[in-house]
Amino acid sequence: MRRRQEHRWKARTATVVGALLVPIVLLAAQGPGPSPASAAGMPRTADGRPDLSGVWQVLNTAAVNIQAHHASKDEPAGLGVVEGGEIPYQPWAAKKQQENFASRGTADPVSKCYLPGVPRITYTPYPFQIAQTPTQIAVLYEFVHATRNIYLNSKHPPGPIDWWMGDSRATWEGDTLVVDVVHFNGDTWFDHAGNFHSEDMHIVERYTLVDRDHMRYEVTVEDPKVFTRPWKMSMPLYRRVETNVQVLEYECYAFDGEEFHVSAP
Amino acid sequence: MKTRIVVAGPVWVAVCLASLVPLAAQNVPKRAGPEAQQWKAPRTADGQVDVQGYWRQTNNVTTYSLERGEADRAVHIKITGQRAATGKPIVEPADGLIPYLPWAAQKFKYLVSVHEGPEQAVDLDPVARGFMEGVPRINLQTGFQILQMPNQVVFLYEYGHHFRVVPLDGRPHLDPRVKLWMGDSRGRWEGNTLVIDVTNHNDQTWLDQVGAFHSADLHVTERWTFSGIDRLDYEATLTDPKVYARPWVIAMNYAREKDEGYEQLEHAVWEGNKSVEFMVRPKDTAPAKGTKD
Repeated sequence: MRRRQEHRWKARTATVVGALLVPIVLLAAQGPGPSPASAAGMPRTADGRPDLSGVWQVLNTAAVNIQAHHASKDEPAGLGVVEGGEIPYQPWAAKKQQENFASRGTADPVSKCYLPGVPRITYTPYPFQIAQTPTQIAVLYEFVHATRNIYLNSKHPPGPIDWWMGDSRATWEGDTLVVDVVHFNGDTWFDHAGNFHSEDMHIVERYTLVDRDHMRYEVTVEDPKVFTRPWKMSMPLYRRVETNVQVLEYECYAFDGEEFHVSAP
Repeated sequence: MKTRIVVAGPVWVAVCLASLVPLAAQNVPKRAGPEAQQWKAPRTADGQVDVQGYWRQTNNVTTYSLERGEADRAVHIKITGQRAATGKPIVEPADGLIPYLPWAAQKFKYLVSVHEGPEQAVDLDPVARGFMEGVPRINLQTGFQILQMPNQVVFLYEYGHHFRVVPLDGRPHLDPRVKLWMGDSRGRWEGNTLVIDVTNHNDQTWLDQVGAFHSADLHVTERWTFSGIDRLDYEATLTDPKVYARPWVIAMNYAREKDEGYEQLEHAVWEGNKSVEFMVRPKDTAPAKGTKD
């Protein structure tokens, strides 16, 4: 029975990881991020803000590893999205990341189909839809129908709160949507390579529309428990321009759901 | 001590009866009449009827049993920990029962008979297993928020972070080969009523916890009528010739959630779900330690 369970674990992990990567391998390599465009062609909402509405998706392999990496089986190579290349781990945390990497097949929370947290949900790399209003921006993700409600000009509730996707509050800085995210749990990873954070993580995301079909997405990560200093990721987001495109469903755990309930031996 | 109990008993009963009165008055869903189209509802910038905001159901209908309501109160509380449903949402046919074809009635009878502790996971409520609710069940489960933007209506449900995007631009439904847990929604405004046509359902969702089911041919037509500034009247017609002898209708009413600063909170369902472990009882498995069967 135990062997059978181990086999099942491996089989389903391979399936999950493989499924996550299918969209990536079809995509071209990423180029440098686009630069801010002139305000002239900018789509705007009725209240004058840049209109971020639509279906978006990354074209990169950050879900495999946010740092530069060569290919391995079912895991395409990538240039990395961490500015400067290095993640400034504290020594204990660097060791912990190595352990996470070694056991990532089973230890990665996304291999168990858990909510991926922020910013990982952005580059899962499934499509997501932004539904924008003046006071609230809902982001609706295809991967496990994750959602985020980003409230504008309002304060975080007092913590600590243990949320998978954190608590998101935003302001507009000129034409950039700046989202402040806190109240995480310590159970999500940044990628399948075991890069991780603690529940004290503080994220600042910056969404900048550079033309109709491209956004620049920048993330600042701050977590004094795990890193020696704040660090950044950045990547372009691409509009899905197909006629009648819509977010579908990737119900990760439903493919072999009951197997996940088998207790660990 | 004894005297206190004697005195308290009737008082307690009176309090309970009094508390049931407002519930009972709301238990029968009201169907929107022609007057719902007469008032001048507010409009969004792009000319839609503006129904944005948070809404909660007022009929005390739960997802336990569409047909039974509070008849199975004890079982309902045991399984869900929730107060039993006192409301019954089926308004057509008049007997309040789902008009199954004979084979489907047999299957439903079996599912009901095992729902408290099935021997196999496939006979356990899919929502208990962590899967998505489907439409219309999600509307019985939880309150929701409506956001509107040009050419679409978005429903955000707190329970299990479900969402629905309803395009209003007249685009066709998805290829029938695409099956979705939440189906594929296409909407249009008819006066103060948002009519949503929902197709492309998979055959994996149930309509309640006791096993009311459908096939992948299910076609749901929802009518969300904005009957007053604080009132939404809901009807869903379910058509599925493989399973039902004729279409049938559920109805519910929703009131605007007016709490200042109300926001939905994160509701992670899958993470840590133990329902299969706790509820499925394979025949050849010995009883768990320290329990008697």
